[in-house]
Amino acid sequence: MRNLIAFFKRFRVFLYFAFLQIIALSIYVRYLSFPKSQYLTTASSITAKVLETENDITKHFSLSKNNLALQKENIRLRKNLPQSLYRVDRNLLKINDTTFKQQYAYIPATVIHSTVTRRNNYFTLDVGCKQGIKRDMGVFSDKGVVGIVHNTSEHYCVVKSVLTKDINIDVMIEPIGLFGLLKWDGENPRRGSITGISNDLRIKKWSKVVTRGGSGIFPRGLAVGKVESIKGIEGEPIWDVVVRFSENFRTLQRVYIVKNLMIEEQKELEAQIPLDEEDE
Amino acid sequence: MTDLYKNILRFILFTFAQSLIFNNLEIGFGIHLMVQPLFVMLLPFEIGVFSLMSLAFVLGAIIDIFSNTYGLYASSLLMMAFFRPIIFKFYSPREGYDPIKEPSIIDMGGRWFFFVYGYLLLIHHFWYFFIEIFRIDQILFILQKTVLSFIFSYLLSILLQIFLMKKSKAN
Repeated sequence: MRNLIAFFKRFRVFLYFAFLQIIALSIYVRYLSFPKSQYLTTASSITAKVLETENDITKHFSLSKNNLALQKENIRLRKNLPQSLYRVDRNLLKINDTTFKQQYAYIPATVIHSTVTRRNNYFTLDVGCKQGIKRDMGVFSDKGVVGIVHNTSEHYCVVKSVLTKDINIDVMIEPIGLFGLLKWDGENPRRGSITGISNDLRIKKWSKVVTRGGSGIFPRGLAVGKVESIKGIEGEPIWDVVVRFSENFRTLQRVYIVKNLMIEEQKELEAQIPLDEEDE
Repeated sequence: MTDLYKNILRFILFTFAQSLIFNNLEIGFGIHLMVQPLFVMLLPFEIGVFSLMSLAFVLGAIIDIFSNTYGLYASSLLMMAFFRPIIFKFYSPREGYDPIKEPSIIDMGGRWFFFVYGYLLLIHHFWYFFIEIFRIDQILFILQKTVLSFIFSYLLSILLQIFLMKKSKAN
């Protein structure tokens, strides 16, 4: 017993250090994969308030550029309005539409805080549970996919951006329809890579990369970027495909959150797939 | 007493400077400016080891909350605080440290500060990027980030001290 006390006395500085270090690292590891509460993130109300004030000051620096982007999007959407279309066939009867049912709804949001230089980058948005935001909803901008909601509080939410370690959005390369997972290696915020594309098919440079919409987080066909280069990986039958993101995450301000109205149905159905015993 | 107020003010200033200004600056090449190690460095000579580590931990945790890093800053600042007494002891002058002085470049001179802060900042930066990336096959990228960020953070720390601090009075 006396030895034990002597041991603690002798190494008390190191033990205290180790104790705090273990707290910090365990929080880090746990929050990286699944945040238990909002209090240690920018979704908590005090930090979000401070960041919102900061954003109020700095958002004007890129105001004109943002307005231009919004205007462009408006023009694109206006083109599809009934007023700007010419009706060719005038003999149609109006019928109650049962062929199409709304699957995705969109919620607009503003980015109040963002990073791009870290290994794992997050955005804070000014919408939260009150607006119906939940974990695992997709986030995109007018140019392309931005990320997935990671954690929410009452009025704010934190988005895991495309620029994180395990983002794994399922994407496809457009004309040939090859599926793969989007990854980011942590070096350049303009480039990511796709894994899992076997090298028996040829891919054209600058072909479009869009979301696959398999997991119900994003609708099918949202832009992600373009294929910049294709390299073979030694000893493996897959391509290393480098993607140039269409969105510049450094100047991102306006985003939309995807709300899949049929996600419960899809999840319920997929939960019935029997587990593989060997994969456990 | 004035020392206490000074350090409380510094604590608040360093928190906001790091989380609202320097975290938003993007220079490229993986450079990440960090000034908060300077706070840990500038704490008084006679501060106890436990309060030193606790302060570093709390400062890091607050910056973590502001930047969604979940304990990265706390962990690396704690690492630096743990090594501070060891390196201070190694570089202590023959007659010991003068408690009136501050461990800054202005009070202690360039030579002393150059080595002591250099080692501490290098430990801090290496630990930060090592935990952040945490892959052995990307060790070169970790080292690149560490060295480049180290150089710029170091220059920034020296500039901040030269512009914002005065020499401590002799009595």
